Order: sequence, then C-alpha cells, then structure tokens
Amino acid sequence: MIQKIKRFDERQCLPLILPVLVLIILTIGCGNQYYDERMQMRVQKLDSDLMNRWSMSGVVVTEITPNGPADKARLESGELISYVITEYPVKTVGDFNDGMKNGLDEDNNLVLYLKDKSPLRIALRRRGDDVGLSVEGSGTVRVKEVKPGTPAANSNIQVGDIVEKIVDERKIYSLDDYKKILAKLSKRQITFRTTELIGVKIAAVSALGDLGDVRAIEPLIDIFNNSTELSLRKASITSLQRLVELSDLNELFQQFQNTNVDQLPTDGLQAQQVESAAILGLLTVDLTENTATLEAPFGTQFRHRSEALYEKINEGQLAELAQQYIQIAVEPEQEIRRACLTILGILKPVSAIDALATVLDNSAEIPGIRFQAGLTLSQIGEPAVDALIAAFESGDTSTKDIAASALGGIGGAKARDRLIQALENTTEPAIQLTLVDAIAKIGDASSMQALERQRAQYQADEDSGIRIFLDEVFKNLEQKAM
Amino acid sequence: MKKIWIALTLVLFILGCGTQNENLAKGKELIKSDKRRKEERAVREFKLALQQKTDSAEAHYLLGLYNSQEFYEPNTTDWEDASVTERGKHMFRAYQAEKRKYLERLVFETLRDDDLDIQNAALDALKRVYNQADQKQLLSQLQKAIKSSDNRDRHNAHWVFGHLGKDDPDTIVPILVKLLEHRRTETRLNAVKALGEAGSEAAIPALATLIESGAASSERDREEPEVRQLAVEALGKIGGNAVPELVKIVENKGSSLRVDAIRTLAVLGDAKVVEPLLDALKEQSNRDVVVPLN
Repeated sequence: MIQKIKRFDERQCLPLILPVLVLIILTIGCGNQYYDERMQMRVQKLDSDLMNRWSMSGVVVTEITPNGPADKARLESGELISYVITEYPVKTVGDFNDGMKNGLDEDNNLVLYLKDKSPLRIALRRRGDDVGLSVEGSGTVRVKEVKPGTPAANSNIQVGDIVEKIVDERKIYSLDDYKKILAKLSKRQITFRTTELIGVKIAAVSALGDLGDVRAIEPLIDIFNNSTELSLRKASITSLQRLVELSDLNELFQQFQNTNVDQLPTDGLQAQQVESAAILGLLTVDLTENTATLEAPFGTQFRHRSEALYEKINEGQLAELAQQYIQIAVEPEQEIRRACLTILGILKPVSAIDALATVLDNSAEIPGIRFQAGLTLSQIGEPAVDALIAAFESGDTSTKDIAASALGGIGGAKARDRLIQALENTTEPAIQLTLVDAIAKIGDASSMQALERQRAQYQADEDSGIRIFLDEVFKNLEQKAM
Repeated sequence: MKKIWIALTLVLFILGCGTQNENLAKGKELIKSDKRRKEERAVREFKLALQQKTDSAEAHYLLGLYNSQEFYEPNTTDWEDASVTERGKHMFRAYQAEKRKYLERLVFETLRDDDLDIQNAALDALKRVYNQADQKQLLSQLQKAIKSSDNRDRHNAHWVFGHLGKDDPDTIVPILVKLLEHRRTETRLNAVKALGEAGSEAAIPALATLIESGAASSERDREEPEVRQLAVEALGKIGGNAVPELVKIVENKGSSLRVDAIRTLAVLGDAKVVEPLLDALKEQSNRDVVVPLN
C-alpha cells in the first residue's frame, strides 16, 4: 500500500491521491478499532504477532465512556478481553436444549454444571455431533439418558444428575469474533474474562530496577507483597535488590554530582565503590590516565537521581520488608530469600540480627542460604557478634562452622577471644579448621600467638590435618609479608 | 628497418611487462604457497611492485589486503604504514586505477573477509570513494548488495550504509527509508538495522510507521514481526527524540512490541520513561468482569 501511494506521488497526482489516502486511513481505522454501543467502550484489535509471541488473543479496551455499562462494571482501559462468557440457567428441558444449542454453536465447546460435581467441559469433534445427553423434569432438571460412545459418556455423567446451568466460554481471536458474539448475546448478561499481559509487567519491573529511579520503590514493594504471580514477585525483588545495590554507590555518584562532571581522577575515589560501579557497567576506569568516567547514557543520568534513591532506600521500609521474607517457612522460593539476604547485607539493619541468626541455625534451610545468612551477619559487623557467639555455642556443626567464619570476618577483640577459646577447647577436626581459618583472617598479634600455640601442640603429629593446614597458613602469611 | 623497430619495441615491451609483474607475481605465488611467514614476504614483494610505477592497482589492493601491523615493531614507519587507514588508502588507490573492477571487488568480496582489519580497511576505502570519488556508483553498488540474495552481501551493505549514514544522513537515510519497501524481508531488515546504526533522528517517522503496521488490517500491509522488533531496537540506538516514540509503543496496549520497547528504554536510562512503566504495572490482572443486563 505504501508503495502504491509513493508511485502516485511520483506522478504528482495530488488531487487523485488525497481522497484515496482518506479512504485508506478510514478503512484502517475501521479495521482496527470498534466502538461497542452496548458496552459503550472502544476496543482494538491485537497486534498481529502478540498471539504468536506471547500466546495471547483477544481485543484490547482502549477507551471507556464514563457511566456506560463497561464503566459501571469497572472494566478498565488497557485490559485484554480474551473470553466472553455467558450462562444459561437450566430450569426446564427447553432451557437445556437452548443452552446446549447456543453453547455449542461455532466453537463446539461448553461447560456443564451438575449439582455436587465439578464443572465438566464438553467438546465435540465435529459440528452437529451428538453430545449423547437427554434430560427430563421441570424446576429440577435431571439427566435421563447417557448414550454410550458419546462425549457425555466419557465425562462421568450419571443418569439422575441434576443439571444446574450451561456456561459458554467463547475465546476471542479477532475483532470480528468479538462483534459476532456480542451481537448474538445482545439480550443476555455477559462476563468478560481478561488476561494479564504478564510479559509486559515483568519487563517493566526489570526496567524500573535498571533505571534507578526513586519512584519505582513503592510500586515494586506493592507488587512483591501482593502479586499472586510468582514470576512477577521474583522480578520485583530482583529489581529492588538492584536499586539497593545502586543506592549503595551513592557516595561515589555524589562526588561526580557535586562537581557536576562525568569524569574524575580515580585516585580521589573510593576503590571498592569504583570497582562495584565498573562491574555494574556504570563507569569505566583508565588506570594509566587515572580517570574514572561515567558511562553514557545510564551512568551520566543516574548521578542526578542517586541521592533521592539513597534516601528513600535508607528510610527503613526496605530493610523491614527484606527481613520478613528470609525464613523458609514464610517464603518457599529460595531466589527470593537470597535476594532479601543480599539486600540486608547492604543495608545492614541491626534489627535483622535475630532473624538472620534463625536462618543460620535452621537445619531445614539449604546450606547455601544458611551460609549467606552468616555472611550477612558479618556484613552487619560488630553488633552481630553476640548473636553469632550464641549461635556458635548452641548450634549444630554447620551452624558452628558458619558462625565461626562470620566471626572471623567481623574480627575485634570479643570475637577473636571467643574463637581462640573455642579452638583450644575443641577436638572436632572440621570445626578446628574453620576456627584456624577465621583466626588467621583476624590476624592480629594475639591471633597469631594462639595459632603458634596450636602448631606447637600438633608438631609431633605428622598426619594431623590441622598441622598441615597451619603450616599452609603460616607459609601464606610469610609470603604476604615478603 | 621499420620491422626491426617494431620487433625491438615488442621485445622491450614484453621484457618490460615481465619485470613489471615480477614482484607482483612472486608475491602472489607466495600467498598461494604454504611457506613460513608467506604473507610478510609477499607484502615485501608487493611494496617492490609499487616502485615500478605503472599498473600498480593490483599491488595496492594486495597491500591493503595482506599488510598487517603484526609483522612490524610498533611505532616504526612500516608499522604505521600497515594501519587500517593506510591499508584503506591502498585499496582506494586500487579503485582509482581501475574503478569498476575494484569497486565491485571491495563491496562483494573484500567486505566478506573474516579478518576484521580487512573489513575495516575496505570500509575506509569505500568511505573515500564516497567522499572523494564516485558517490553515485558506490550507492548503486551498495543498493545492489543490500538487495542481494546472499546474506553476507546484505549484511555488509547494511554495515557500510550505517557508517556512511552517520556522516551524511541527508543522503543515506532517504535511500534506506526507500529500501523499507523492498519486497525481500531480509533487505528491509538490513535497512532497518542500518537506520539504527546511522542513528539519525530523520529516520524516526519511517520506523514508527513500520512498527505501527503490525495492527494493519490487511496482512499485505503488515511488516514482519522480526523487522518490527529490529525497528524498535533501531529507535533505541537513535535515542533522543526516539524516546517519545518508544514510550508510545509502551502505552499501546495492543502492541506486541511493548516488551521490546521497555527493554530498549531501560538501556537508554531516560527518567521520562518511569511514569509510563509505572502505568504499565497498574494494569489489571487476570479476572472476570460481569456486565449486568441494563
């Protein structure tokens, strides 16, 4: 069509193409959209490949006239109508026959509601096939006969069953389908079944995480708390995690923002934040030139949004949310629990310590997540020492193991002394190794003396695992010192 | 007497031809052989061939093809002479000597090479043709290539078009827009990609029309989904004034390209898109809506 217009254009027949153009626009307009007088709303045909790509079909509501039937039914613009449903209550044999005839019309498919039974879907292979069902009675309509070898016979229908209603669910593939079914049901009450465009929402949720805009936080929390769609909940907690990670770089981005530049000398910036930002692809570092440059377009734009995001994220709401979903009993989805732990590791709320200690000590939890809970506690640091010591003292071997390495990660006199004391009193090889490792990580004078004492104690034992491990530790330390 | 003169000239000519092509022939022989460091040695021969002034088109072309910085110490003269730009210049000189032959060769042969440096040298040469020589002829060859039945040619042509379009959108964009009507889907596909790579905002209306054609009532007027998808990507590459166009797609509830548009916008990082995305989140979930009889 475009080609045709162009050709006319070339011949410069403007007076001729104008009416043609108007006509074409009119037909396109008519073909794509339809104003439904009864519902008082405009519906639009779906994009041709939406069905192929997302297995979706139906018509989209684009406009609703205020106070019309559609508006009163609370249908909303943007909803995708995939089914038009109508019910035929059955009080007489005539009702039944009408309902069967109308219900099977076009799609050879209907749903039969029998008293005290779950709904039965009846499908005919060919138009006009016999359903194989006859009924009798008035007021209460019962099944009189089920013919063998028919769809009815294959559907667990018994003679004497009470027929309550027949429901016709008509799938909408095109605007024509919609027009036809609504014309047919012009005098009946109808129900629209709408389908959520879940792919669009997931994409929007992920994009909001990437954009790093403060306005996304509340809606994402809302979806995470309230959506029944697991994929959407996962996407929203992942996006929230991303926003928390971005906000963690606020200090770095403020250095750019305060001087209003996109490039700064690398040596004036905090190395760890620069590294994280580079990993996230927000800036590039040139060590020979000593420059850190924000990556366009996102990095350069984000510096304007960073401060607001940081403030909102540190208001406490998010830390509270994450705490709620780290227990396996509350949240069965491990991906979500992991994301929440990551968020807590960055926000470091002291209020989460007890909940984290529970996760660490929960033998029903998978080891990776218990370990992550320990890591999160060590990220919280000093305030978590007591809880970790308690977990170490009362927990099983795994708990001891995780708690000890978390304590090693935190360091400080209290953690160190408890670790040394534990090392001197335990004979369990697995725990010994973890303790040695944790104490070596702290690495101050007292720690090293304690390790020396251990080495002396096990000197005679050739095959002792702990001695070999200690030798290894000291060798590494010597190498580092050199 | 006259005969002797003629014979003498002929002999000299033949001898001349022999010496002229000797280095060239040797170099070509080397390339065909499986000798060690054959390319490096061949390049030496091609350079010698150039010193003999006449008929150096092939020598220039071969230098463009085989000279490589890998052969030389960095920052020496030889090393600089083997840069992609210098090799592009050689190829361009080959073109200047024999226009028709080498233009076709550059477009349909050199660009197909696996070596990225050779592709870039050819691109450099073609840019020179565009700016300093026969623009019209080049464009006609490129159009032939993008309409070709061979995917390699189409792909290479789109790549060159994209680069030329960056420097001279006023000429290139209209050509590419016209190619959007070509009957071959793959040609349109490559034209769309080239428009994205050219990055000119002048392409926005044409891309928007193409994207919207998905809802056309007649199948004939509908562009293929994959082409429309690429058109969304192209809008993302153009950025700037293409952002509102992408937002429009996100807001069109009946479009199959909403997800593509959202992903594209996320990369652009523009704060203007936050609101439309939040609106998309507010859309209703699966449900039954009862409309009572009046």
